[in-house]
Amino acid sequence: MEVFRHDLVIVGGGGAGLRAAIAVVEADPKASVALVSKVYPMRSHTVSAEGGAAAVAAPDDSLEMHFKDTVKGSDFLADQDCVDYFVDHAVEELTLLEHWGCPWSRDADGRVAVRAFGGMTAKRTWYAADKVGFHMLHTLFQTSMRYDRIVRYDEQFVTKLLIEDGVVKGVVALDVREGVPRAILGRAVILTTGGAGKCFPFTTNGTIKTGDGMALAYRAGVGLKDMEFVQYHPTGLPGTGILITEASRGEGGYVINSEGERFLVTRDYGVGQKAELGPRDMISRAIMLEIAAGRGIKGSYGDFVQLDLRHLGEAKIMERLPFVRTLARTYAGVDPVFQPIPIRPVVHYMMGGIDTDIDGATTLPGLYAAGETACVSMNGANRLGSNSLTECLVFGARTGQKAIAYARGASAGNEAPLLRQAQEEAARIEELRGRRKGGERIAQIRREMQKTMEEGCGVYREQASMQESVRVMAQLRGRVADLQLEDASKVFNTEILTALELANMVDVAETIAVAAAARRESRGSHACNDYKTRNDQEFLHHSLVHFEPGGPRLSQKPVNITRFQPEERKY
Amino acid sequence: MSRPVNPHAMAPARAGSTRTAPPSVPDGFWSAPRMRRYLIFDATGITYLLIGLLILRVAWALGSGPEAWQALLQQFRHPAYLGFHLLVLLSVIVVGLRFFGLFPKAQPPKIGPVTPPPGPVIHAMLYAAWGALTLGLVLVLGGFLP
Amino acid sequence: MSDVQKKKFIVTRFDPDKDQVPKTQEYTIPVKPDWKVLDALNYIKDEVDGSISHRWSCRMAVCGSCGMLVNGEPKLTCSTALSDYGDEVHIAPLSNFPVIRDLVVDIEGFMDKFKSVKPWIIRAKEKAVEEGPCRQTPEELHAFKQFSMCINCMLCYAACPVVSNVPEFLGPAAIALGHRYNLDSRDEGAGERNEVFRGEGTIFECSFANECSEVCPKSVDPAAAINQAKLLAVVDWAKSFVVPRGGDK
Repeated sequence: MEVFRHDLVIVGGGGAGLRAAIAVVEADPKASVALVSKVYPMRSHTVSAEGGAAAVAAPDDSLEMHFKDTVKGSDFLADQDCVDYFVDHAVEELTLLEHWGCPWSRDADGRVAVRAFGGMTAKRTWYAADKVGFHMLHTLFQTSMRYDRIVRYDEQFVTKLLIEDGVVKGVVALDVREGVPRAILGRAVILTTGGAGKCFPFTTNGTIKTGDGMALAYRAGVGLKDMEFVQYHPTGLPGTGILITEASRGEGGYVINSEGERFLVTRDYGVGQKAELGPRDMISRAIMLEIAAGRGIKGSYGDFVQLDLRHLGEAKIMERLPFVRTLARTYAGVDPVFQPIPIRPVVHYMMGGIDTDIDGATTLPGLYAAGETACVSMNGANRLGSNSLTECLVFGARTGQKAIAYARGASAGNEAPLLRQAQEEAARIEELRGRRKGGERIAQIRREMQKTMEEGCGVYREQASMQESVRVMAQLRGRVADLQLEDASKVFNTEILTALELANMVDVAETIAVAAAARRESRGSHACNDYKTRNDQEFLHHSLVHFEPGGPRLSQKPVNITRFQPEERKY
Repeated sequence: MSRPVNPHAMAPARAGSTRTAPPSVPDGFWSAPRMRRYLIFDATGITYLLIGLLILRVAWALGSGPEAWQALLQQFRHPAYLGFHLLVLLSVIVVGLRFFGLFPKAQPPKIGPVTPPPGPVIHAMLYAAWGALTLGLVLVLGGFLP
Repeated sequence: MSDVQKKKFIVTRFDPDKDQVPKTQEYTIPVKPDWKVLDALNYIKDEVDGSISHRWSCRMAVCGSCGMLVNGEPKLTCSTALSDYGDEVHIAPLSNFPVIRDLVVDIEGFMDKFKSVKPWIIRAKEKAVEEGPCRQTPEELHAFKQFSMCINCMLCYAACPVVSNVPEFLGPAAIALGHRYNLDSRDEGAGERNEVFRGEGTIFECSFANECSEVCPKSVDPAAAINQAKLLAVVDWAKSFVVPRGGDK
């Protein structure tokens, strides 16, 4: 088997992964980094983020305000030392990105412009029209091409972590083009593989968001933290789930029901003065309640409400929200200059993920994680919009720096046992590829998983359906082991990738369901109809789910509360 | 169905790790209306080549004395030459219209310290220049002006 | 269901381990009126023939993965409405690229050309983070913004008649992205990039067919970029006789 050796391996080439790679080679001019991604990096899902990246910029804003907004937005489950570090370094990161060429939108005097965003008490969201993720990702990717010591392994799918004596020393990656697995060794591994929105049927996420890194860490014995907190973005297109950015509300858009009423203003949904700019979890719940009360509009992909931008006028829409207009026309058949856009809450972001500390280190030496795939935790029970793009940069950079510092001091270990593990993994993949007898189609299992997760772990959850999801996921795990493949070829076999991704998703979905069923309170984006209030006495902690052969094991981890004591979350 | 193109089109610097099918274009690629218009535009280059040869011929005749010159003018009365000049006129119009249409967007935001004028102004200037030149040539060569 | 009709899809297949040359395979499937071409392909893969290989991800025309030929024209299949087509739809891999498998082409050639134009900010002296962001007026941003919208989908390469014939030609997207940086007020690397433009990847091979701009799904207008770049590359070359390189931007 072919072996590649580097100082450090990064899995996932999106915002966090690319930022970490650049941080590594800038921290250590001699370091060689493998950037391993199952797609070419410019296809990473960071590209679809639209609204903006937050950092304190205006004179009437302060780090303390950003800190408080984020902690309150997290429903007090965020680790406050992480949030402090985050707000402290946000401006630096976005400035660095500007130096690298990111085309931030500007005020007339040439300064970077900022817009309002949900849950933020001051305008602090930097933006590039409404394609911020696209510009950030392309800026990072193009800048990363400057460094010859970032060695890219494009279209290589990591299937296993290589561990020797309880320390991570590399990965096994399936070369998608050749259909051959390889060992890529490094003295540290950073997982930056993004979230797992595809566990659900309606999501803003692209098809590649299948929780691969989370599953890798989970199976290696690392805990997944706060998995029950799945963010439903209030304004996705019905059916496709395509994202209509929060910036459309930030620029003044209204959310209206079937009667044309701005129900976030006229009815009490807890968002107070903020109305459409309340935090995402509250707005998503408000929309679902309006629909349940019969004030939604019927559609073939479920009932929806509407986002009205008409009063903004064509000029403002074309200047600030041109992509929103294109998306609405292409995928919803409406022109937002003249018609309201149909929207409903869709799965968007995972607040939870791989349990890491503020350095991005996991409990497994040599293994790090950053970005959406990690749970530092910066976002607690609910993330504020425009915090996650900045999070990718801030924690991508820090994790890269910490990981290379660790790797410099770590030993490369004994290769022989690592290669043996890699050979076993190669055999496992070959067996999967050759499997032709018995079993179901991949799409069938995937649909059942998604349907169950929608029913059990939706915007509003109930104990009974959550328990049912737990049961179904455990059963699906067994069925995934019996999958049928039609594609036996080696060259660019995408069916085997889909099968591997499905196995990852089922594992991750199981942790979501288990964690959700165990949290008998409502907090942030976890709204439980059987326990409607927040219970700080018993549940002010992070949930942790660990893999065990007999079934996931639950435990807790305390929240780091430094100076903002939990209070009632009112807006 | 498809047609081959240069076998090295879009080839990577390092040979790929698996055998690939060679690059190709679909059957209607070269015959699609828009592509055909472009190819005609490109093909007018042949007329300019021929005009260039003709100019050499004229220069040679000019240098060979009055009889040669009169003989050339006699030849030019042949309908074939008239037809050729009509073809040249058509080519110039084809190229002019297409080129003038595309020319404004080929102006960068700034050329050194100079900011090119907006599209419609450039169009106006180009057509005005073309018109003035044509008028001038007709007047001079047609004998209307000394 | 009354609104379910059927369409026939003729899909190019190629497995280098089995096929000498690409061939086609036909699938007739029920389709929904609001489907994009990608939805049909995914239905075929999910329900009918799991062995089809194709690239896709975001489904919202921003990741650039899903470029293919639909009835001979380069399209992003995720944003191309199926209702624009009749009962037979041909799906083939992008033209002008070597084909790895089925609808998947080798884009390493593009990655080479892309990197060769140095698509990153080049400055003589790196600006310190403490100095804050550079100032850039909305007009300065506007100067290059359009060319920064490229999603690297390579439909332009599939449409370009010069790419078909001249392997060294840098191609529309690479030139447009190099030009984007040349126009960025924060960049000082135009001299280096213009040398690349005038060098082996010569942009002067472009004969303004404008096909690239016709097919670009993001209105980048690479034809404009290439021809602007030609002018600036010539001006830069002329200037190099007057102002020696090194003292110049």
